[in-house]
Amino acid sequence: MHIPDGFLSAPVCAATGAVSLGAVGYSVRRLKDSLSERTIPLTGMMSAMVFAGQMINFPIPGALVSGHLMGGVLAAVILGPWAGCVALTLVLVVQWALFADGGMLALGANILHMAVIGSLGGYALYSTIRNFLGRNARATVTGAVIASWFSVMAAAAMFCVEFGVSHAGQGYSFRNLFALMVAYHSLIGIGEALITGLAVSFVLAQRPDLIYEPKATRSIHQPISRTLAAGLVCALAIAAFLSPFASAFDDGLEAVAVKIGFDELESGKSLLLDDYEIPALTGDWQTFSVSAAGLLGTISVFVIALLLGRSITPSPSLAEAPRE
Amino acid sequence: MSDYLDRYGRRQSICHRMPAIAKLLLTLVVVGIAVSIPIDYWPVQGVLGCVILLGHTLARIPISYVVRRLAIFLPMLFVLSLSLPMSQGFQTGWDLMLSILFRSTLSFLAAIWLINVMLFDQLLITLRRLWVPEVVIAILAFMYRYIFVLWDELEKMRKAREARSIGTSSLRVRWKIAAQIVGMLLIRAMSRAERVHGAMCARGWDGHVRTLDP
Repeated sequence: MHIPDGFLSAPVCAATGAVSLGAVGYSVRRLKDSLSERTIPLTGMMSAMVFAGQMINFPIPGALVSGHLMGGVLAAVILGPWAGCVALTLVLVVQWALFADGGMLALGANILHMAVIGSLGGYALYSTIRNFLGRNARATVTGAVIASWFSVMAAAAMFCVEFGVSHAGQGYSFRNLFALMVAYHSLIGIGEALITGLAVSFVLAQRPDLIYEPKATRSIHQPISRTLAAGLVCALAIAAFLSPFASAFDDGLEAVAVKIGFDELESGKSLLLDDYEIPALTGDWQTFSVSAAGLLGTISVFVIALLLGRSITPSPSLAEAPRE
Repeated sequence: MSDYLDRYGRRQSICHRMPAIAKLLLTLVVVGIAVSIPIDYWPVQGVLGCVILLGHTLARIPISYVVRRLAIFLPMLFVLSLSLPMSQGFQTGWDLMLSILFRSTLSFLAAIWLINVMLFDQLLITLRRLWVPEVVIAILAFMYRYIFVLWDELEKMRKAREARSIGTSSLRVRWKIAAQIVGMLLIRAMSRAERVHGAMCARGWDGHVRTLDP
């Protein structure tokens, strides 16, 4: 999902751009340390691979559209977080420069969602789960599946926050938008998790040496920051589910908006429309449906992780099969 | 793919002759205005739209091409922005949706203009002048080189799959095959990267790209 220009206000675009610039800049610095002169061919090829990989369509039952991979977690599993983040960033830049996919001002937001949350955040979660489960093949697949689902959810939640701040004070209830986006993205997330899991288990069966293994940690701070980042991704995703319960959230967002100074955008509309007078999608039904979607998503992702993890058996006979 | 990559970038026009940095900044300003002005000032947006279309005319980008791109973009945008009134129970949110539609379409037209008057290598040179780190530019250039190679590889794999699977298989099988193609593409890309890296080292690669451009 590339955000086009026009959805987010210019200050929000600038803010997300600054955050992305910082994160990607730091990734580039770390990248040069870790890969040295192999940086350019490896990262460049991986970026081209993610770009091409996004063209592979996955049929979705009951829908006219077909989905495709986003690849943040996949790139991070193979290349590590820093190269993965840079690769995804460059994919987004090239998609913008060649196809006008995603906005020019919204590029920062897109990078934040797919490269920073997708690769850096996703990797943090993946490596935490993987280390916890024991760093074997099953742990790798389980970590990748869970991390890719959570990274999609976290990106959706982040978009809702950005959109809410962009249009705060115009009298809309963004709680409902949150609900809609979360329900929608829990499905997208399952697709992403399934593709990532299948692709990672395929790579594990064919070339297990390609999976990124971090070098011995140089400082004691590293694991702590990784756990923190993993927690942040989870928290964002979980906040997305819990948001319908917390009716105070809308007010919280508005309070933030007022504090930052967007309240001058406030028009007369908010006087006419009460925030909480939206029928049809409010009430118990909405709370129930979003939480059900979240629960369903969580359960199915864990089932996928379990099944894929179990099905891993190296099959050398396959190595030559897909060749033409 | 080559059908819509750099399609009109090599034409000669007053827009193509502009310095690349000016084109980039101009588009940035236009997009910035397009997303910032409220819908109430619709005459400004109208003027902006006219300016962008004038740019398209000056750059001699055929209107049929622009319409084709819009035909892909607009339905997607419509569905995306429809989620806004949908989330309000179709009671309100229509005005916000309308303003998003206007803003996005204008920005998209501006972006279409930019990508058709600026070649990718021009963008790289401009980015280098904007103090983007050398290594990022080099990765971008490398990536651009290999997109086409991997694209061909993907087409080969697709054809091989189609040749081997007659009729429609079950959803499960199709997903599995698609994921295997992703995995296979990844493995081939990585082995290619290793080979290319070896070949580069054999030719004296030291981690720095040297170009003829000053």
